[in-house]
Order: sequence, then C-alpha cells, then structure tokens
Amino acid sequence: MSNISKAFGGSVALDSVSLELKPGTVHALMGENGAGKSTLMKILAGVHQPDSGEIRKNGEKLVIPRPKDALDLGISTVFQELSLLSNLSIAENMFLGREPITLFGTIDYAVMEQQTIEALQELGLTLDPSTLVSQLSIAERQFVEIAHGIKADAAVFILDEPTAALNAADVAVLNKHIARLRDAGKAIVYISHRMDEIFENCDTVTVLKDGQLVGTRPLADMTPDSLIAMMVGRELAHLFPERSTEVGEAVLDVKDFKLEAGSQPFSLKLCRGEILALAGLEGQGQQKFLRSLIGQFVPAGGVALIKGQSLKLPVAPSAGVRQLQALGVGYVPEDRKEEGLFLGLSISHNITIGLHSAHSALSFAKDYLKNITDTMASMNVKAAGITAPVHSLSGGNQQKILLGRYLAADVDVLFIEEPTRGVDIGAKSEIYKLLRSFAEGGGAVLVLSRETIELIGLCDRIYVVHDNTIVSEMRAEEATEHKILDAALSA
Amino acid sequence: MANAIYSGLVQRLLRVPPAIYVFLILLIILSISRPHMLNVNVMGIFIRQVVPLGILVLAQQLVMRVNSIDLSGGGVILLINYLISSSVFPGAPLWFFVPMALMIGTGIGLFNGYMVSKRRVSAVIVTLAVSIILIGLVQFLSSGKPPGDVPSIFSDIYNTKFWSIPTPVLFWVFLSVLMALFLARTVFGRYVSSVGANAQAAHFSGVPVERTVILAHTLAGLIAGIAALVQTASIAVGSVRVGLDLPILAVAATILGGVVFGRGEGGVSGPFFGVLSFALLFVVMTTFGIDDPGKLMAQGMIILLAAIFYGVRTAKS
Repeated sequence: MSNISKAFGGSVALDSVSLELKPGTVHALMGENGAGKSTLMKILAGVHQPDSGEIRKNGEKLVIPRPKDALDLGISTVFQELSLLSNLSIAENMFLGREPITLFGTIDYAVMEQQTIEALQELGLTLDPSTLVSQLSIAERQFVEIAHGIKADAAVFILDEPTAALNAADVAVLNKHIARLRDAGKAIVYISHRMDEIFENCDTVTVLKDGQLVGTRPLADMTPDSLIAMMVGRELAHLFPERSTEVGEAVLDVKDFKLEAGSQPFSLKLCRGEILALAGLEGQGQQKFLRSLIGQFVPAGGVALIKGQSLKLPVAPSAGVRQLQALGVGYVPEDRKEEGLFLGLSISHNITIGLHSAHSALSFAKDYLKNITDTMASMNVKAAGITAPVHSLSGGNQQKILLGRYLAADVDVLFIEEPTRGVDIGAKSEIYKLLRSFAEGGGAVLVLSRETIELIGLCDRIYVVHDNTIVSEMRAEEATEHKILDAALSA
Repeated sequence: MANAIYSGLVQRLLRVPPAIYVFLILLIILSISRPHMLNVNVMGIFIRQVVPLGILVLAQQLVMRVNSIDLSGGGVILLINYLISSSVFPGAPLWFFVPMALMIGTGIGLFNGYMVSKRRVSAVIVTLAVSIILIGLVQFLSSGKPPGDVPSIFSDIYNTKFWSIPTPVLFWVFLSVLMALFLARTVFGRYVSSVGANAQAAHFSGVPVERTVILAHTLAGLIAGIAALVQTASIAVGSVRVGLDLPILAVAATILGGVVFGRGEGGVSGPFFGVLSFALLFVVMTTFGIDDPGKLMAQGMIILLAAIFYGVRTAKS
C-alpha cells in the first residue's frame, strides 16, 4: 500500500501512509485510538475506498470495491467489532453468504457443520456448531470470529485487536495459530494495544499517529519503552501512578460467599483508599461475583456488607444497580457500547443520567451544567461540545464519559469491569491516574480486567479467582503475571 | 468545501420530520385549488375532527419513545363511548363520566405496562389482545345494536369556541405543550430517552427501566381515556364501531412526525404536524372527490414513504 490518503467529511483519517507486507512475517500496526489503523485496514479489506494512493499485490495494482472482493483477492480480515449475528448458529455465521448447497438447492447443513467443527478444532475449540451465537461468551464469540477469518484460504490476514476480549490462556492458543500461519508463508497484520503480544508475535512494527506514518522498524531493535515513545511522541515514564499506602475502613465486606452450590466459600474486603483487583483466568467467577451484587447472578449463599449495611441476597435484578447507587456505589459495566453508553445521545445526557436517576421520575430535571463541564475538564475529554453525540468520540474519550457519569454522580465506591477496554495507551494512563486520585480522595475501587499487566500496575492488592472462589491474595507490587497464573492453576 | 456545506444542508433538511414537508405540500395544494377554504372557521372545523387522533398520538409517541407500542386505544375509546352513550349509567352527570373515563384508561394502560415490562410479553400482542377483548366486550354488552345518545353537555362543550378557534383544538394544543414540557423538564423525560436509546445502558446508569415503561404505558392509557371523551363528544351518539382505526393512524402520524421506535428526534411538534397533515389530507381528498378507499390507500402510501425516508436517513448517519 503506498501513499494512501482518506478523509471522512472534513477530518483527515490517513495522510499519505505507506505499508509493505512481506510473506512469512507478522506485521504489527500500532498507534493510539484514532491514529488511522482501523481505517487503513478497512481500505485493505474493501470496506472504505482510498481518496488517493494505490494498493499493489505482487506488483499488480489492486482495486477493492467491496469486502467480498478483498476475500476473493486473498485478503482475510478479523475485525475488532464483534460482527457475528447472535440469532444464528455458529455454523450459519461461518458460512454466511456462501452456504454450501445440496442437490435440491437447500442448504447443506451436514457439510456446513462438519467444516465448522474442523475449523473450530484447529483453534482448539470443541463447540457444537449448531449453538446459537447469543449463547456464547464474548471470548468464544471472538474465537468463532477468528475461525471465520482464518478459515478462508487467503494470503494476507488482518487481525484487528483479536485479543481484546480474550484471557491469557486463549491468547496463547491464538498465538500458536498466528505462528502457524506465518510459517505457512502468509503475511499477517496484527493490531493490538497489548505490548507483550506485540513483542511475542510480531517481526516488524509500523507506528501511525494522527493519520500519519511515524515509521516502520524491525521489532528486534525495539523495547516496549521505545515503542511507546514512538506512539505517543514522548517517553511515557509512568504509565501507572504511584500506589497509595494508607487504607481506611472497609466499604465492602464479603463473608463466606458461595457462587455455586458446590464451590468453595470465600471472603474479601475492600477498604477506602485502595484499588483492589480480582484477577485470574477468564470466566472463573470474577464477573459472576460482581454481578451477583446487582442481582444479575444468583449466588448460592453468603453475606455481603456494603458500608456496614447487609445486602439482601439474592438481589432483585431490577433494583440492584439503584440499590448500590443509593449506597454511593457506582457499577461500571464491561461493554461500553451495549451496556454503558447511549451512543446516539449527547455527552451531557450520558453524564447526567446518573445524577437524574437519584431523583424520582416526576421531579424537575436540573441541567447540571457545572457538573458536566467539571467532569469534562477533570477527565480531559476531547469533544466538539457537550451536545455532541457520544458515538462521535474516540474509544478513549467514550470510556472517560462512562467513568465520568459515575464520578459525577458522587459515588465513593466504584466496581469496574474492564476499566480500559479498547482504549489507547495515552487515555489508559489518564484513566489510571483518575482512578488513583479517586482512591486517594477516600474512594475505593474494585477492578476486573482481562489485562493482568493492568491489574498489577494499577492496583494495590490482588485476589486471584479460580473455579468460583478466591485461591490467593497478594500485594500488587509483589505480583507478576507468572505468579498470578501459577496461583490460579496450582489451586 | 462546497461539498461539506451541501451535505451539511442536506443533513439539516433530513432532520426535519417528514410531517412538516407533507403539511406544507398539502397546504400549497389547498391554497392553489381551494384558496377560499383557508380561513380560521373552515380550517377550525377540519382540524377539530382530528383532535381525538391528535390526543391519541400524544399517547402513542410516549410509548414509542420507550420502544413499545400501544394498539389498545381503539378498544378503550369504544368501551368509554359505550359506557357514556348506553343506559348503563342513566342520567349520570359529567363529573361522573370524566373520572370514570380517565380511570378506565389509566387502568388499562397500567395493565399493558405491567404485561410489557414485568411479564415481558410483546407490546403489539398485549395491546392488540386487550383491544380485541374490549371490542368483544362492548359488542356483547350492546348485542351488536348501536347504543343511545351521549348526554348533550358533551356536544355543548365540544361546540364552543374561543377567539373563533374550536375549544377541542385549543385543548389539544394545550395537552401537546404540556407533554412537550413534561418530556423536556422532568427526570421522567430523561428516563424515557435513555430507555429508548439503550435499555441496558439505562439499567446500568440506575434508571428504573421497568418502572419507566410501566409509567409510559399508564400515562398513555390515561391520555387514551381523554381521547375517548373528546371522540365521544365529537360524534354525540353511541356507536359500536367508533375509533377503531385511530391506533394505527396514531402510529402513522407519530412516525411521520419523526418519532420512531426508541428515538424521539421529532419532538412533540413533529407528531403534532403529522396529525395536521392527516387533517389536511382528508380535506384535500374530499375536495377532489376521493372516497374512503382512496383515502385509505393514501394513508398507507404516506406511512410507507415515511418509513423509506427514515431508511435513507439512517443510512446517511
């Protein structure tokens, strides 16, 4: 791809960017959110058309008018957004638009399911191909998506944040397949915000910033620090803020909590002034525990005290979030787009709705202008104005708006699932600082995250969760990814 | 740059609810073909005819903003009309009928809301079933015969005027302003737009989603009760067929007015003009000698065009 430019409306997304992919290499594409990575890949995949510049494959000039043409030309893509249809089965999704046909012109389900089983098995998955996608976990969906992309017999593979929803064990499986594709002489483009993956998988890195090419380097010559410096244009000395040393009284006190009837009971404490993590492999009960506090999961038993007040378990699902809010606890959901934000509504609506919901429906709605501007300023949100719809913001700014809603609502305890999912490194650092200053101001934070590095860097204390119970507790400053995995698996 | 200005203009024009365009086009047609009809007295009479629809549209847009729908208005209007015009409550005064109508409407709305929100039954099915039950009930009670007359006080009020504008029209405008203020100025209004935009996100922000949907349906029932009173006053006699096409017309006028399921961009004024468009449409078609079958087809076409218009707009944004 050479000298590719693309503008949307008035804003330039790509400014004369060139990229060369060689067979048998894994090429990392990095940059903060909004740097133009996704746009560049969407041009290669035929989703967008470049305003200028050209694409050549083996010296031949290519025109890719539609996504289907990209596939025919041997360019296969796994996009960052989950694009599966949840009301269809896995097999139906895999063969969407190119279903095998029987003699009678009906869909040949037998062939479809057999090939799906094979494709999934290559990724080490044993899922029933007739399962509806809506019944899969986010990680399983991501794998089906990857199987969908990898299955096509292409020469170029684009993986746009394939691991955003995967845990460490799943990532290892994926890495194996990336290595296999590379050894088979394929060219792979790998987009990720996770440093460790980039260094583990990739040979070359191209960095974009604000739609412009910063440079292309072999990764052997790079360190994580120098790569970050290339991305943000300065050394990021401290991605994570300093830890605190003082903790106050307990705001969440959980005793003898049993998630499932057969699981081991556990206890945990969250105190003022600290940031606490629930770490471990994905789906071991971290989220089930947190969601049982808002009534979206029914635990088998136990006691949960919030600021000394006992929660009646199981919590009523329709009242759970409001009950926590009344106690000064904000619950920040994992999925920003589905569960968090009103994408089509204004920034001000998204921030103030938490404040409004503390009042009765028939009361007068205040405008909370000062709260909105204060939140935008303290969180350093970049936006055209407070009436701009949230979907017009970058991922990092969207995440800030989501957090801002709960901070503006004047809570002093935050339960957060995935504080920085799909957020660029600059915004991550800002969010970490915000959470730390929230804790230092007497708040308490309980965090779940698929990124263990994030938990280690951000938090003060880590509980390792495995098989629906807490198997270990450690100080974050002593924790490593290896120790956490070890604690989980040796339990 | 010219392109940017052009697309900005198109964007702005597309944001205007289709009802405004339809209204303007019909107004132009009328002013060319029958200019003498464009005076307060004649238009007042025509607009007065659509006031029951206009009031029911206030109910419909409220539930459509929370991604629901209410098709029970036909049954509510029929039942209330029957109870007022038949001899079930002989000689009862106005102060008895009005609270009775409002209570029936509110009760049915509450039931709809409970079923849709708590029992998770499809809103189309619940409200349609309720309407069918009510229609059947009225036919059973009346044994198919039209009931008697409506107490004359109803038509006396209906025929009054202020500053040569019919009272029902003023009443409709008053209710519309009230609804606009209610949605813009109360916490409930914020709840409604939140639930419509994303019910999950609303739940996680602490919005009482179920209660919001129940309250929207309950208020819609109350408003349907008001529409029933005005409709009853307008025809002055009892009927076993009154108001049955109103719910679907209300859906049409709401969509035409730019309030689509879960999205309230047209505001309250959009659907208001949607109703006015229907009023003018009837006038224009009558003056051109087109009968009911033709009117029905035209209504259908307008609904279809509004839907296509929204398809274009969603693709653009």
